[in-house]
Amino acid sequence: MITAGLVEALAGIVGARHVRTAPAERVTYARDGLPTHRRVPAVVVLPGSREEVIAVVRLLAAHGVPVVPRGAGTGLSGGALADGSAVLLVLTRLNRILGVDPKNRIALVEPGVVNARLSVAAAPHGLYYAPDPSSQTACTLGGNVAENAGGPHCLKYGVTAQHVLALEVVLGDGRVVELGSPGGEPWGPDLVGLFVGSEGNFGIATRIAVRLLPLPRAVRTLLADFTSLRTAGEAVSAVIASGIVPAALEMMDQSCVRAVEDSVYAAGYPRDAAAVLLVELDGGSEAAVTADAETIQSVLREHGARSTRTAADARERERLWQGRKKAFGAMGRLSRDLVVQDAVVPRSTLPDVLETIARIAATYQLTVSNVFHAGDGNLHPNISFDGRVPGLKARVDAASTEIMEACIAVGGTITGEHGVGLDKLRYMPLIFDAESLTAMRAVRRVWDPEERVNPGKVVPVHACREWSGIGTRNAERGTRNPIAPSSSTFPIPTSALAP
Amino acid sequence: MSDRGGFEALDACVHCGFCLQACPTFLATGDEADSPRGRIELMRALESGELAPDDPAVVVHLDRCLGCRGCEPVCPSGVGYGRGIEAARALLATKRRPAPLARAALWALTTPGPSRIAYRLARMLRATGLPGAVAGWGRLRFAMGMLAATRPVRNAEWGVRSPRVTADSARRTPHSALTTVLLFRGCVMDGLFSHVHDATMRTLEVNGYAVREVPGQVCCGALHAHAGLREEARRLARANVAAFGDGDGDEPVVVNSAGCGAMLKEYGHLVDEARFAARVRDVTELLAARGPRPGAPVDVQVAYDPPCHLLHAQRIADEPYRVLAAIPVLRVVSLPDAAQCCGSAGLFTLLEPAMSRAVLAPKLASLRTASPQVVATGNPGCLMQLGAGLAASGLRAAARHPVELLDESYRAAGYYA
Ligand SMILES: Cc1cc2nc3c(=O)[nH]c(=O)nc-3n(C[C@H](O)[C@H](O)[C@H](O)COP(=O)(O)OP(=O)(O)OC[C@H]3O[C@@H](n4cnc5c(N)ncnc54)[C@H](O)[C@@H]3O)c2cc1C
Ligand code: SF4
Ligand code: SF4
Repeated sequence: MITAGLVEALAGIVGARHVRTAPAERVTYARDGLPTHRRVPAVVVLPGSREEVIAVVRLLAAHGVPVVPRGAGTGLSGGALADGSAVLLVLTRLNRILGVDPKNRIALVEPGVVNARLSVAAAPHGLYYAPDPSSQTACTLGGNVAENAGGPHCLKYGVTAQHVLALEVVLGDGRVVELGSPGGEPWGPDLVGLFVGSEGNFGIATRIAVRLLPLPRAVRTLLADFTSLRTAGEAVSAVIASGIVPAALEMMDQSCVRAVEDSVYAAGYPRDAAAVLLVELDGGSEAAVTADAETIQSVLREHGARSTRTAADARERERLWQGRKKAFGAMGRLSRDLVVQDAVVPRSTLPDVLETIARIAATYQLTVSNVFHAGDGNLHPNISFDGRVPGLKARVDAASTEIMEACIAVGGTITGEHGVGLDKLRYMPLIFDAESLTAMRAVRRVWDPEERVNPGKVVPVHACREWSGIGTRNAERGTRNPIAPSSSTFPIPTSALAP
Repeated sequence: MSDRGGFEALDACVHCGFCLQACPTFLATGDEADSPRGRIELMRALESGELAPDDPAVVVHLDRCLGCRGCEPVCPSGVGYGRGIEAARALLATKRRPAPLARAALWALTTPGPSRIAYRLARMLRATGLPGAVAGWGRLRFAMGMLAATRPVRNAEWGVRSPRVTADSARRTPHSALTTVLLFRGCVMDGLFSHVHDATMRTLEVNGYAVREVPGQVCCGALHAHAGLREEARRLARANVAAFGDGDGDEPVVVNSAGCGAMLKEYGHLVDEARFAARVRDVTELLAARGPRPGAPVDVQVAYDPPCHLLHAQRIADEPYRVLAAIPVLRVVSLPDAAQCCGSAGLFTLLEPAMSRAVLAPKLASLRTASPQVVATGNPGCLMQLGAGLAASGLRAAARHPVELLDESYRAAGYYA
């Protein structure tokens, strides 16, 4: 129970200025980057150090009050929302880069450090942090760890999980554990791997050691445009089949291109194209990258590109990328409200799936724009609508579900990088049977036996075990990603994480 | 003007968060309620009536907004934050009287009679040298530092050499046909920065503009609009349109204060005077359109700090650099995060000193690293804020308007001989 005494004690730890109880202040934390979900937290606390985080979590544990960590609130699944029974722990003030070690190419950061700022800090050493979610100028590394964030360049370099070496985590009862080692030599089970992507369900990351990579010596960015969505989808598979691994391979459809071109991030994408592909190649030498770029350019033309062009300089490259990265925000221009889906399909099915999505959009008379990580088959259909129109939201939900079902039907899954959070709870039973869901919950309970950290997210509790409908059918079809039930004595080492 | 009074400009917000890191107050507190996205949430709730305009928490977080509009140019969705916050402030103003300090400042700085006396007293105080001597961090000492920063400075004072070239290269203006432009004088600019007006007129003339004075003009109304006093702002706007609009009324109106320029360019929204708004030009726009003509070398290291109301509100980025580039030898050092506000924001520095200083701190830190001799910026508030901040933190650099530097260069070139 959250009492006045508890609020006072919280203020005693972080200072009264950093405890928010006024309704107006709490309302500003009621949403994340997917504004269709709204929950007003009971109290908002903004700690200024890891010590304060630990003290706050211990205090809340003693009172049996749930806690929800939050970074920048750019998540797209409602993961960082807390309801009136919980305290929202905002980590934006923990924003120090504790150290960059250029020799070993490691950085140690607090969780509130904004993704793009780490690369800026590493640049003088010729290094950068590779995972680049489109939200990188806003989102935090803590949020990236929790969501196992991906980004355009993760096609070649891997998602967040491939770049986190070690973590310091505060568990729900306030105990502090250290996972992994900054040296990157794993021993025992890969607990860092388990924690990354746990959506704030396993604990709160308070320190993160990440790998930095040397900035590529040579880069080419190509823009190709197509007169049909299907050809563009087929060209994606052709590029991958060429054997060259692009650093990034992104696709935008016409509606998305037009929104970007109307915005301050206009990049010069052709407005009349049905779709554009952005392909980046990088490597250690100009000659090799130029040769790759030429090969890819001819592959694209052979597969129906109307025209292709190469960014002339770093400035144009930046412009082409900014357009892509701000596309989600730009689609805000189309209508008052926007929901974005996140699904992964086998790359070869892209042309069919895109057509199916267009058909669903037409059936429900909705504007659906596509911008996505084509190389990974990670789709992001965006539905624009005006939530004030009666009945429209229900139509949007129905179309979303139908799109998701279509993706699952071709062997896809319900999230590529945005996580399950609140928004995708409803889809979990579509791909996991009751037993798998129970197993997931059991794993979670090893870390957080009371389910006190970010409760009610990721695993639809009602669907565990007692829930059998679709789950059984899936089990017969062969469920994807079954997770074996774990024992409840999961070893968590407390080895030292040297700063 | 729509019947929603400006709130409609916020409709496009989709909560993406791209504006967070562009917001100086969010960077200072890390609190969503001090961010553009959080404030938009508050303003929407104000409009819908879910939150009341006298809710203390709403008032605190909206008051803490600098109005710097750093959140606008980064917004992919094209949210008109500036128009939204002005609508919200007008709504707040229906439930409260502006802070006594704000009232007093508006009265002393912008009303014709009293302000003349106030500025005269201020100039007398400034002439004693006392404000410069006591400049520091306390509220009063910071204010003294701000006043000291309005003093005209000469290159020689900060050890800059500008060799005088021979007099026969001196030609006042190479242009035969002069374009007439009308000078907007403003209130603070006129009262404390008349030397910048002089420099503006001289440098424009060298570049082929004939500068004409316009009687009957008044304060632009920006400070009133920011304080939520829309009707007063409208009254001033109409007076200015009348003063500048006579005759054919299509000569450019030249402004050297970014805050005033931004406001004058908003007259289309404020009083439906889009034609007037379209005539308004920052002095650097006019100079850059003519090159500007190169002057004599000035050996000085300059950091350019763009005023928010120039960069974000008017989207003028390159022109001030072109003005500085017309000065041979002068070196421009770059400031990281230069696009961030300095915390001046009109009366904000007086009304919200704690937040204002918190926003100023990172700016001073990057100035300490860059260690220029001059910080160039084209807005009176920024000149005063930066000048006071530099003095209080013991940094030896002067805050000056870019046209002052060009003026020195032209003087050295003998163009005024
Ligand atoms: C315009 C836009 C583009 C995007 N593009 C991409 C993209 O390309 N790729 C991609 O993967 N995502 C993308 N996202 C989604 C989002 O930015 C990422 O999920 C990001 O990782 C969230 O970070 P955050 O700091 O905003 O976290 P929040 O939204 O604040 O939180 C997300 C989750 O992380 C948890 N959490 C936060 N901090 C911690 C911590 N320290 N310890 C434990 N749990 C924590 C929260 O409880 C919550 O469940 C995009 C979002 C937007 C708005
Ligand atoms: S960048 Fe624009 S759309 Fe995105 S949260 Fe900020 S104001 Fe809203
Ligand atoms: S105007 Fe400036 S202070 Fe106000 S919300 Fe926008 S960026 Fe922040």
